Amino acid sequence: MFEMKRTLALATVGAAALGAAAFAPVAGAEMKHEGVTVNILTRPGPVIAGRLEERGEEFKAATGATIKVATVPFADLFQKLLTDWSTGTNSIDVGVFASGWAVELADSGLLADLSDFVANDPGIQFDDIAPYFREFNQKIDGKTYLITVDGDFHMLYYRTDVLEKNGLEPPDTWDEYLEVAAAVHGQDMNGDGEGDYGSCLFKKRNAQSFWLSLSVAGAFLQTQGTGQGIFFDTETMEPLVRNEGFAEALRILKATGQYGPPDELNLDVTDTRPIVLSGRCALLLEWGDIGPLSIDEEQSKIKGLVASKILPGSTRVVDRATGKLVDCTPELCPHAIDGVNHTPFAAFGGWSGAVNAKADSKVIAAAYDFLSYMNSPEQSNYDVTLGWTGYDPYRISQFENVQLWVDQGFSKEGAENYLGAIAQSLNSPNMASDLRIPGTQQYEGICLDREVARFLADEISVEETMDNIYECWEEVTEDFGRERQAALYRSSLGITN
Amino acid sequence: MATRDGTIGGRRPGEDPAAAVVTTAALRSGRLAEWFDRQARTLFIMPAVVMILIFSIFPLIATFILSLSRVRLRGGGYTMRYVGARNYEKQIFGSEQWHFLGTFEEVSVLGWVVTAAGAGLLAWWLVKYLRGRSGRVSVVGTIGRLITASVLFGLTFMFAATLFSGTRLGTLGVTLFYVVVGCGIQFLIGLGLAVLCAQPIRGRTFFRVVFFLPMMVTPIGIGFTFRMMADTGKGPFAPIWQWIGLGDFAWAVNPWTARAFIIVGDSWQWIPFIFVVLLAALENVPRDLVEAGHVDGAGGWQIFREITWPQIVPVAATVMLIRVIEGFKLVDLPNMMTGGGPGIATESMTLHSFFAWRALDPAQSAAISYLLLFVTVVLCVSYFMLVVRKRAAVHG
Amino acid sequence: MAEIPAPTPAPLPARARARGLRRWFEPARIGQMSRGGSIVVYGLLVLWSAFVLFPFYWLAITSLKLPVDVFDGPSFLPWVDFTPNLHAWADLLDFSAKSPLAETLTPYRNSVIIAFCSTALCVLIGAMAAYALARIEYKPRLGNILVFVVLMVVTAVAVGVYGVDLWIAAAVGGALFVLLARSVGRYFKRSVGNADILFWMISQRILPPVVAVVPIYMMFQKVGMLDTHLAIILTYTVVNLPIVVWLMHDFFASIPIDLEESAQLDGASRLMTFFEIVVPLARAGLAATTLLVLILSWNEYLVALFLSTTQAQTLPILVAGMNGGEKGILWWTMAVVIIIMIIPVIAMALLLQRFISKGILLGAVKG
Repeated sequence: MFEMKRTLALATVGAAALGAAAFAPVAGAEMKHEGVTVNILTRPGPVIAGRLEERGEEFKAATGATIKVATVPFADLFQKLLTDWSTGTNSIDVGVFASGWAVELADSGLLADLSDFVANDPGIQFDDIAPYFREFNQKIDGKTYLITVDGDFHMLYYRTDVLEKNGLEPPDTWDEYLEVAAAVHGQDMNGDGEGDYGSCLFKKRNAQSFWLSLSVAGAFLQTQGTGQGIFFDTETMEPLVRNEGFAEALRILKATGQYGPPDELNLDVTDTRPIVLSGRCALLLEWGDIGPLSIDEEQSKIKGLVASKILPGSTRVVDRATGKLVDCTPELCPHAIDGVNHTPFAAFGGWSGAVNAKADSKVIAAAYDFLSYMNSPEQSNYDVTLGWTGYDPYRISQFENVQLWVDQGFSKEGAENYLGAIAQSLNSPNMASDLRIPGTQQYEGICLDREVARFLADEISVEETMDNIYECWEEVTEDFGRERQAALYRSSLGITN
Repeated sequence: MATRDGTIGGRRPGEDPAAAVVTTAALRSGRLAEWFDRQARTLFIMPAVVMILIFSIFPLIATFILSLSRVRLRGGGYTMRYVGARNYEKQIFGSEQWHFLGTFEEVSVLGWVVTAAGAGLLAWWLVKYLRGRSGRVSVVGTIGRLITASVLFGLTFMFAATLFSGTRLGTLGVTLFYVVVGCGIQFLIGLGLAVLCAQPIRGRTFFRVVFFLPMMVTPIGIGFTFRMMADTGKGPFAPIWQWIGLGDFAWAVNPWTARAFIIVGDSWQWIPFIFVVLLAALENVPRDLVEAGHVDGAGGWQIFREITWPQIVPVAATVMLIRVIEGFKLVDLPNMMTGGGPGIATESMTLHSFFAWRALDPAQSAAISYLLLFVTVVLCVSYFMLVVRKRAAVHG
Repeated sequence: MAEIPAPTPAPLPARARARGLRRWFEPARIGQMSRGGSIVVYGLLVLWSAFVLFPFYWLAITSLKLPVDVFDGPSFLPWVDFTPNLHAWADLLDFSAKSPLAETLTPYRNSVIIAFCSTALCVLIGAMAAYALARIEYKPRLGNILVFVVLMVVTAVAVGVYGVDLWIAAAVGGALFVLLARSVGRYFKRSVGNADILFWMISQRILPPVVAVVPIYMMFQKVGMLDTHLAIILTYTVVNLPIVVWLMHDFFASIPIDLEESAQLDGASRLMTFFEIVVPLARAGLAATTLLVLILSWNEYLVALFLSTTQAQTLPILVAGMNGGEKGILWWTMAVVIIIMIIPVIAMALLLQRFISKGILLGAVKG
């Protein structure tokens, strides 16, 4: 954390440089929330929580409200929030968590509707927020319940030097991904004389691995735009996991294992990042964090050597009527680029703050102001350029203003490439939304995660995996009520009827 | 049994802790003291009984009810619906069978052999008891043995149909593996160390304190530390791994090496406990018996087998009972070291139940924990009745 | 379940051995070790000490490493193959920095409060119960126990399934018990004895905590006590109570009764006898038991995770949460947290080590 301190020092200098602009919106409301305490629960820092704490101090100085940030291990976060709020314990005022979880909370009436606050808050610059986050991530049934602090979606990262040396192009489809990984696997990529890896993916159970399977599967499953969805049939809630496309995705995911670190199955994203930063990986799928992390010279050996791109796609996609893979046609893949259907996946959706509906009205007001403070361009546009915050871009101004990133040490080219990939993903009309209905935790965290983990550990076959996920999802759907789930699924995809 | 005199240190009545003086000063005077004295019978035991009733017996009952229902957390509370034994069915016969008991497919020849051998042994054991050679035959004893035998047979068949048929173990099998293999290893090493320390050596206190240290570390911390230790790339033993050509070996990917590593961590923590108790037991073995053995010219191994071991058997049996009881509760290590992976290979039953709770399914979690309770109670009580008590009766 | 063979006189071993070996492994005198023997014994003991101590050493040096030193493969000796750096310690203990200290200090304070209070409570209640079971004869009627269990089931169903208020259900249940115990209880003359009560108490230890923790969670939620120290203290007390009763019962039973009898002849009450005579006599046993219970509650994770949210978080949860940095697990900070977490217990252990060594745990284990 030594280098974190340094970055902090930098951050303070940066904040001072932004000067009056940074504090202007708050300065107007002087000591507006004197004596109010806002209790926030999120995952352990420094990621996400660390910046909340620091900005909390600034916020206290400006408004008098005390911000207390508590953390619990990520895997227990949702359960803690839901039980705290649904059982009336109410020791938490604000949860900062995956936006996907909010539908279930809002559905139980546990979240405060923030629409009115947003309407009266010019400082937040609502229209600057990228469309996916503004319209899907923050809203449920047309009302704003969440304030994003971090935009999350998967991208492909590749080592420019390694690919160049081998005369390879960055992969555009999943097949090419495997080809490139196979071609470079075993080469020394960081000059330590040891063979390195073609592909590094975090495949540990009970962590983040299931999002990978969705990132791969998306390209085969969704062609018609965000509203089509990659999880269920929007009418019948039949899971979209028993088809050739999902089978193909599972096979690809397993095939990447041949070109990965030997203990890939026990690596979560916090384990793979040091490996990536030490220059041992040619290809990887990751959230936006890798960009800023790669330029941190204290720990990165790949500064300027890594570039990013929209997730690989596929020329063959699932025909939903038959479940078979068919070649893309302009009708079938309206959003295809050069005949390749890309489906960027908003894995996790992004860390967002939501306010407990039962909290005191003064606390709700202070909580909203704090989240708005975090979200506003003055703060956010700076925070997202720092690797250690864990915050990734979600505002249009963040990937249009290259200078912000150059200031942090990106080369101009590097920044343009990175922001280009982000813009390409965020502007894609075919972005796949993460699941955002009640039971998300069971659908993804239990059924999908467990079965994919067993598949990767060679416990079960492709067919068994798909059957098990199918059955498990059907069970959860039955449990919550099929009709209701279908209606919520449609509304989470913006389908109104 | 050996005398207990050695166990009471510094007995000097009248040297009271200050707190006691204050308490008793208040008690000496007045009617309060009289009242206390009259109620002493109740007052002494009631706090413990009430606490256990509220926090142990009541939850036990509540969990059972919970395990027979379907529970959903909703805004402002939860809803409960009675579903009979459906949660148990799901675990034992239904869609979660592979998770709890293991993947059942065709039972192999070896599997049948193991099943038959197990059945034969259990039958022989029951018949032997019923013929009354080894003591009195009672109704309770017979029923108890029948329960023990049927549970053991069920477990034998489970292992025969999974482990010995080449399919995956479920969380029950994994838990039993931790308990039987883990505790077995811990006992052997703990006993070995105790015997070494009981030799006439210098620095015994030093070793005793050092060996006891791992007990102090939270299992969560042990999980992290051993993950660090086991890292073949960045861990302290990386040079050794590389030297023997296993630099790319990943313990967490193979089910058996992953389980083995969890046992290593668990052993590091629990061997001290067994060691400390067994060492005390060894020190309590009357010296004259051992010396008499020496005079008769018996060798070291012989003295241990014929003189020392029979003396410490009752202690060994009980310390293992305690260890086995705790062993069934293993959860923190697999949770931290592997998250239950690869697949479900290292998931213990407590972890299984905890995962179900975390997925907001308290009813399923309750059913799993009750199944764990059932297995634990049957095995531990059988062990207590058939081994600990018997040993105590023979040698006490 | 084979029988132990009765100790029969052993046949004398063949004494003719190679002379050289014999000289090495033959003790000079009885009660001493041969040279070869002592080399083997010391060798094994030192080997095991290394196995025990190495993880501590590794934690200690990891806490002094920069991230770079950790990720660049193993380094073993400070100043030799890496330069020690106090950054992790400074981060955690720096009083001017706001967040890390507060983040660590609150769980630390919680852990101290919870572990010490629950240990004290547990040893007090447990020792009193153990003493009572060793000295006073109890004969609760079987009928009353049956009535009580049935009422408890009914209460649990009423509260859990039908949503009856907990307090009302408990009050009605209690009243019914008093009534029924007077009437129904009379018809069952059989009673249970001290041994059965003791076994019942000890058997509670078999309960895996995960069985009881969900209802305990719901109970505390009903009375609004989730995320408080008291909730965790009470739960730990009960979880560890069986151990105290188990260990202390035999200890008290082994204390000669004449001292207490003479005290009672002098007119001392039971409570006075207990605190003035029995407790000082049992000091050693109490110390060892206290240490054991303290270790168990200091290190407990599962129950704490269930019952705490923000205010009552304990240290193990903090350690578990270290698995959260996006630069990988913060091994160095985690090492610091583990170290400051074990220091107090190790201090206690060193303080109380003479009691452990006296074989206190033995008392109960002898069964």
